[in-house]
Amino acid sequence: MNVLIYTTPTCPYCNMAKDFFKSKNVEYKEINVAADENAAKEMVDKSHQMGVPVVDINGTIIVGFNRPEMEKALGL
Amino acid sequence: MIYDLIIVGGGPAGIAAGIYAARKKIKTLLITDSFGGQSITSADVQNFIGIKSISGWELAKKLEEHLRNFEGESIEILDFDKVSKIKKKNGNFLVFTESVKSFESKTILMACGSRRRKLGVPGEKEFDGKGVAYCSTCDAPIFKNKIVAVVGGGNAGLESVIDLSPYAKEIYLLEYAEEVKGDPITIEKIAENPKVKIITMVEVLEVLGKDSVTGIKYKDRKNNEIKELPLEGIFIEIGWVPNSGIINGLVSLNKKNEIIVDHKTQVSSLPGIWAAGDIADVLYKQNNISMGDAIKAVLNIYDYLKKKKD
Repeated sequence: MNVLIYTTPTCPYCNMAKDFFKSKNVEYKEINVAADENAAKEMVDKSHQMGVPVVDINGTIIVGFNRPEMEKALGL
Repeated sequence: MIYDLIIVGGGPAGIAAGIYAARKKIKTLLITDSFGGQSITSADVQNFIGIKSISGWELAKKLEEHLRNFEGESIEILDFDKVSKIKKKNGNFLVFTESVKSFESKTILMACGSRRRKLGVPGEKEFDGKGVAYCSTCDAPIFKNKIVAVVGGGNAGLESVIDLSPYAKEIYLLEYAEEVKGDPITIEKIAENPKVKIITMVEVLEVLGKDSVTGIKYKDRKNNEIKELPLEGIFIEIGWVPNSGIINGLVSLNKKNEIIVDHKTQVSSLPGIWAAGDIADVLYKQNNISMGDAIKAVLNIYDYLKKKKD
């Protein structure tokens, strides 16, 4: 399972998504797009939009903190 | 199993109500999709009494933690869920959730606040996430070196300007009325910033764009001229709409769709249902006020339940 989350440090919905992963013991890699312009571009290319969080679960792209979609992609 | 009270919502009102209900040993269920309410997107809350400065997210965590401290015997918490409908049943109420659960309760406290108001102009939906944004705390860094506008000159709009200041190249603050309405302390702060231009008497007519936002078309209400402003991003902060749809038909609402309450007790037009916080017809929408109003409601619910038993 390859889980990425694109975030900004001040985004509460990013924190909610990370808390959700933690509560399900899902390991994830966090990419702070505020600190890395290339990562921000990668996120926009992947999700075709400019809002955080963006979650990439094995290639399934989910925009925003969307618990049902995240559960589906994780097979929970 | 019949609850004494179901609290709908987990913002400051819902949490304050939950804590008081638990301490009164009222058999309570609190249903919410998240904790902390609208302030979670605020970068810095400076008017929460007793705390000099705290981010909205940290404040939400503190509020949730305080509530969870009472979780168990008297108060149960159903989170990551949302109430979808409330119906009457033999003097009690049935509460349905989006995850297709249902619960019965003797009383209800509506504390599920409000949601962001949209502009409702052409292009807004089409370019949502493609330049149109609603959370500057979240997305400001993605607009680095871009020309952006904030629509709405209330406190939320002013805060958005502050969130964007370290990143955006130019920031227009667009206000419909003759002057911006936020707190003077915040207005002074942004007026000093050379990046910021304030334009008042602006009625946004359309969000323009191709693949993403390229600008807006607006009416200059000073002379009724139609103008265009080239932009790469638009943050919309034009207020909130109450989440009263789930209770429509049961209680009286005012023209703004707020639940009309008796301001002594917070009871609605229907005995058994109370409302507090931004969903109620309170004049001032504030965290501190929401909590106090919710506490009033719970104390009144306690008296009501006791009388019902006698």
